[in-house]
Amino acid sequence: MNDRKPIGTETFDKHYGVGYKVGHEGFSPYERVNRLRKVFLDRKFNIDIQRARLITQTYKENPQLSAKLKTAYSLKNILEHVDIDLYEDELLAGELAAPAKAAPIYPEFSVEWIIDELRNHPFDQRDHDKFYITDEDKEELLELLEFWRGKTIADAVEANLTEDQKKGCEMGKKVYMTNLYHFGGVGHFVMNYEKLLRVGYQGLIAEAEEYLAALDPADSEYVEKKEFYEAMLIELRAACTYISRYAELAEQRSGQEENPVRKEELKQIAANCRQIAGGPAKTMWQAIQLWHFATTITLIESNGHSVSYGRMDQWLYPYYKSDMENHVIDKEFAQELLECAYVKMGNPSKLKDRMTVRVRNGRGWGGESLTIGGVDERGEDVTNDLTFMMLEASVHTRMINPWVCVRMHKNTPYELKVKVVECIRAGYGHPKIFNDEVAVKAMQRKGMSLSQARDYAVVGCVEPDLPGREYGYHDAAYMNIAKVMELALNGGRCIDCSTNCPRYRECAGDGKTLGPDTGYLPNLQNIDEVLAGFDKQMQFWTEQMCSGLNLIDEIQKERKPLPYASAFFEGCMESGKDLGEGGTRFNFTGPQASGIGTCADILSTIKQLVFDEKRYTGEELLSAVRDNWEGHDILYALVNSSKVHHYGNDDDYADDLFKKVFECYCQNITGRKNPRGGYFCPGVYTVNANVGLGMDLGASLDGRKSGEPISDNMGPVHTKAASHDISGPTAIANSVTKADHSLATNGTLLNWKFPPECVAGLEGRENLVGFIGTYLEKGGMHCQFNIMSNEMMKAAMETPENYRDMLVRVAGYSAYFVELGRPLQMDLIRRTELAFS
Amino acid sequence: MPGSGIIFNIQRYTIHDGPGIRTELFLKGCPLRCRWCGNPESHKVTPQPGIYPVKCIGRDKCGCCVDSCENKESLVFAEHKLSAIDRTQCINCMKCTESCPADAVKRWGRQMSVAEAMDTILRDVSYYNSSDGGVTLSGGEPLMQVSFVSDLLKECRKCGIHTCVETTLYADWNSVEEILPDTDLFITDLKHMDSAMHETYTGVSNTRILDNMQRLASLGKPLIVRIPVIPGVNDSKENMEASADFILHKLHNRVEELQLLEFLRLGEEKYKSLDLEYPMEGLTFDRDEFTLKVKNFCDYFQGRGIVCKVGTATKEGTR
Repeated sequence: MNDRKPIGTETFDKHYGVGYKVGHEGFSPYERVNRLRKVFLDRKFNIDIQRARLITQTYKENPQLSAKLKTAYSLKNILEHVDIDLYEDELLAGELAAPAKAAPIYPEFSVEWIIDELRNHPFDQRDHDKFYITDEDKEELLELLEFWRGKTIADAVEANLTEDQKKGCEMGKKVYMTNLYHFGGVGHFVMNYEKLLRVGYQGLIAEAEEYLAALDPADSEYVEKKEFYEAMLIELRAACTYISRYAELAEQRSGQEENPVRKEELKQIAANCRQIAGGPAKTMWQAIQLWHFATTITLIESNGHSVSYGRMDQWLYPYYKSDMENHVIDKEFAQELLECAYVKMGNPSKLKDRMTVRVRNGRGWGGESLTIGGVDERGEDVTNDLTFMMLEASVHTRMINPWVCVRMHKNTPYELKVKVVECIRAGYGHPKIFNDEVAVKAMQRKGMSLSQARDYAVVGCVEPDLPGREYGYHDAAYMNIAKVMELALNGGRCIDCSTNCPRYRECAGDGKTLGPDTGYLPNLQNIDEVLAGFDKQMQFWTEQMCSGLNLIDEIQKERKPLPYASAFFEGCMESGKDLGEGGTRFNFTGPQASGIGTCADILSTIKQLVFDEKRYTGEELLSAVRDNWEGHDILYALVNSSKVHHYGNDDDYADDLFKKVFECYCQNITGRKNPRGGYFCPGVYTVNANVGLGMDLGASLDGRKSGEPISDNMGPVHTKAASHDISGPTAIANSVTKADHSLATNGTLLNWKFPPECVAGLEGRENLVGFIGTYLEKGGMHCQFNIMSNEMMKAAMETPENYRDMLVRVAGYSAYFVELGRPLQMDLIRRTELAFS
Repeated sequence: MPGSGIIFNIQRYTIHDGPGIRTELFLKGCPLRCRWCGNPESHKVTPQPGIYPVKCIGRDKCGCCVDSCENKESLVFAEHKLSAIDRTQCINCMKCTESCPADAVKRWGRQMSVAEAMDTILRDVSYYNSSDGGVTLSGGEPLMQVSFVSDLLKECRKCGIHTCVETTLYADWNSVEEILPDTDLFITDLKHMDSAMHETYTGVSNTRILDNMQRLASLGKPLIVRIPVIPGVNDSKENMEASADFILHKLHNRVEELQLLEFLRLGEEKYKSLDLEYPMEGLTFDRDEFTLKVKNFCDYFQGRGIVCKVGTATKEGTR
């Protein structure tokens, strides 16, 4: 098969239409897939309390056990007793919870919000992100949760944060948000699927047994290591039991089944489960089934999200190739299998607290990236049939998951570029594009060799990661650098500081300030002094954020080890150390800067109006934002007009300041140490936190009023008054690439929004291929597209029932537009739509 | 100013006037006054202020335009907002366009040197290269500023950039000849085959245009011909037949393609910004019927062996 050009089941240039089509269903040529998709969309989001019940039971019965063994016996208890089912039409078995699409509960992380919401803000009364729970389950859950009060990760974090760390984070003034790992698990990694499929669970078990047997009792860490291997073995064996339960169930169902076709399918499902309940995968079907189980069990062990699939077109390929050569399957069946798997990836749901969903809408886990394409360790292109088929599966299913990511490089075949653009302009928000040249350089900056770097996959939204060898803590925090800027301009005080603030006594009374006084705009003489103050202020807050994250890291390590997940990481198995203990090869922590466009325009406004043109004083500017622009109409109009230099217009005046802010953040993060023996890695993106972070931020000098979103990811500013980029997409691309993206080793993110008519026709396709190519050539690390008109989004807000499967690219991920909160919907509409004339 | 021209807009990433991703420069000044013109700000060569009342924040709160205006009588307000400029009073000093903080008064027309224009053009060279695009000079009528246009095209040529000129061809042949060596593609209109009708709707006769077009075609220059199909103006069967005859017999079918542009109400807000009546205001017609009619014309041209399509895409393909 190697001498053939890679190709999918359809021609590389098959056209899938332009933009979202109202009421369109049946995208897949496989009826089964269309039925499964519909069933998925129709199914309600429930809460499944079984996990909470079983883990609580284990913890109550075994208070004497170490955290590792508690984790292990809990997982065993869950996998042995949780309800399992097989659903009609499905070719794959295994669910995170019962029934499918229900969200399990993870009481070991945090419970106060669950108790509060169950009692005072029922999940089914939310405006969006609703969940349903029966009264009976609700009562039982409340009782179960009582046990956990004071014992969770969140409780430990809160008890140990210093006042400086607290005031900066989500518990204080939200200069940065570390809430993800404060309230939940970490996730954000790629397990070594290649190895699992090759050796099977039994292979991993044998390896762990060997290491356990070889332990030297004289080793000072003997006890910890022994427990680690024992815990891992309990969990790996429980995984086999769990898969065997599915084998039995499938056999039983097959016996009862009257339809001969379905009977045969169930028989095969049973045989697949029998084989992989210990053994390696022998076929593509078994490989997909094993991957699905292995991932699901990771999500049952801990609730960290963005557990990503790695380079699936690469690790799955040997099974596809062998099946095809041996005529075990035909290409159409391989395609159908992939599409069934894609639909199934949508099932895991996660219950999030109402404050989080305010800024991070969506009930999916988020971040299950699936990477395809790219180069091998020698730098040669690796495109294969599956690369195309995985894109076809994406456009045939058009769902949130998986978040398909295509690695592109200078030798990416033209056919693949065309396929990518055909998917993009179908307008469902996938795939995202990653630039090998820049991401590989970023991986090298993280200390990896060139051949390691070339094996990166994308985790979560945009984080480059080394599968099976990296624990990257990729989504550790979001720093609101627009808030840092505010403090830097205003002597360390919030611009809206007043006695009304609940924290007034702690941080403003007695002449105290929230941040250090690193300067006051009216006293500053030039833009360099402003930048110097910003850098100092940034130093203080990155210090607080990183030390706070390290505290969370320590607590996660102590209280929530991950012996099951650790089995899939190089280093953990060999060293006897858990992922949380720094057991794997590469360990990082990745917090992101949010509001870079906002900061660039604030600086540009100051430089132009105060220092260069001397039209306004620093005091006048500050009083305008103090007054939320009320009574400063001329200035408000001016800073939002084309007369002020703005980032995103290929205008060096503003773009140089963007570059300085970008570098300031990266320098302040890079190289700080974490407790796992690794380093901090900066990211520059907001996902959709720009909306939530903006809600808590007073007015800013870029022309933003209090409460409006800050700038989206790497994009330019768009305030309620005006979009600040007015020079079209090439200008944006040029501006964005003036910074060296590889410095942001935890990723950058750029959203494009084009109206459908602008990418229509063969010409539209070729132009988009060319445009993307040039953006990457100029050094853009990542980009993704919404092909959607404002009119359509407005229509979807009016009649959501007609648009329930309309996906939009919110940030690193696609989401169902009608399920988003109104502020985020408005923000999406306001993001500049690039019209081509 | 030698080596400079007056440009009213530079649009980056245009995809409709010539192949690929292009930067399009719109030159100010036009000898024609087509009723359906979508760029009224292009008519006069000299810069003019254009007003956008929705953006005005009100004289009571601002007043910057009045303070700076050299002939304050010319600014007209309604409920505090700038609503019009009395063009008989306005001396086009352009002070209001500079002082307005709100982008409510826009400057139509800016003197620009070849070097300044090239500075913007060169920023997107890599996009032209990756999409087989380039630069398009349009207007107005670029040939009204022929020496500037010629210099600019030479510069583009030096930089290896594909060049396209969209022109009415209402110019001396000498002017056309001057830019000929440095223009890769011409785009021009057949607005009406009947000279009298042409004059009624555009203000000038078509003789010179048709003559230039024939000369251009005979030289084998790549040429795209467009017919802006306007309801009640040139959408008769007779006119289409005459157009086909002209293309086949006079241009010897030496056109890259014929593009039929269906009338759209474009530029209405720009007429208002210039205190001008929108000439197509009263026009009513059935859009679906008209679309079908244009489609049928397209079939007709194709039937006569002319490469023809509706719209401006230069590559065939799926929609």
